[in-house]
Amino acid sequence: MNPELLLALLTGAALFGVGLYGVLSQTNLVMLMMGIELILAGALVNLVAFWRFLHAESYAGQMFVLIVMTVMALEMAVGFAVATARFRTRGSVEMEEARELKG
Amino acid sequence: MQTFFIGFFGLAAVVFAVGVFRTSSMMRSALALLFSQTALGALFLAMQAEFLGVLQIMMMATEMSIMAIFMVMFMMDPGGLGGMDMSHQKRLSLLAGLGGVVLVTGIAAYTQWEGLASATEAAAADEQIRQLGRELLGRSMLVFETAGITILTAMIAATAVAVKVPEQGGSHES
Repeated sequence: MNPELLLALLTGAALFGVGLYGVLSQTNLVMLMMGIELILAGALVNLVAFWRFLHAESYAGQMFVLIVMTVMALEMAVGFAVATARFRTRGSVEMEEARELKG
Repeated sequence: MQTFFIGFFGLAAVVFAVGVFRTSSMMRSALALLFSQTALGALFLAMQAEFLGVLQIMMMATEMSIMAIFMVMFMMDPGGLGGMDMSHQKRLSLLAGLGGVVLVTGIAAYTQWEGLASATEAAAADEQIRQLGRELLGRSMLVFETAGITILTAMIAATAVAVKVPEQGGSHES
């Protein structure tokens, strides 16, 4: 197996794991968004590695990377909007205090 | 040489990512995330994806600066001087994180990637940008345009959610 591909995939796996830990363990909305960013970063590494080491001739791989980057930016924009609304009404962005959102 | 740089920047990205959740200072968390994402940008450069590497570094530098501003706005103690713990269910989260790493690593290690590879030599940077431009404005144009519309929708949604609703009632209602 290509060692460069394996190294990149291991990096992606580690970022995914750290991000998952962050999403599940953090109580603050902004910290939680950082976890989501790390999970998406793991996906980015995998996509670039797949493009470079498997299908370097097809630029649809790079296109996917651009789409994931867009998703990252959108997640930040909508997340901060929710945080702003939450802070304005409740004075806090702690998710422990947002149990009323539970269905 | 490429293997060394991929390993080095990959390790740096993971170390800084762990650092995000190991400090009680949110400013330090934001900076650690910025360094982690910058290391990823450098990793992309090491994988000869020049355009994506530079884009990643530029985008994340801006994004993390905005994140740091929001932290100062929303937190009572953005410097973490009070040592407040902002986490819960740590054991479950740690198990889930480790489980995720083991699962994804297992899939990466046991898949026969050689059979899936069609080309392993990357073109030069200028040729890559030319080909990516052709991809964006050719075969993938619908996807590209959809991303644009999605950004517009998210901008409108974010503004609608964050804007202050004028208070109703008071003397007019009664």
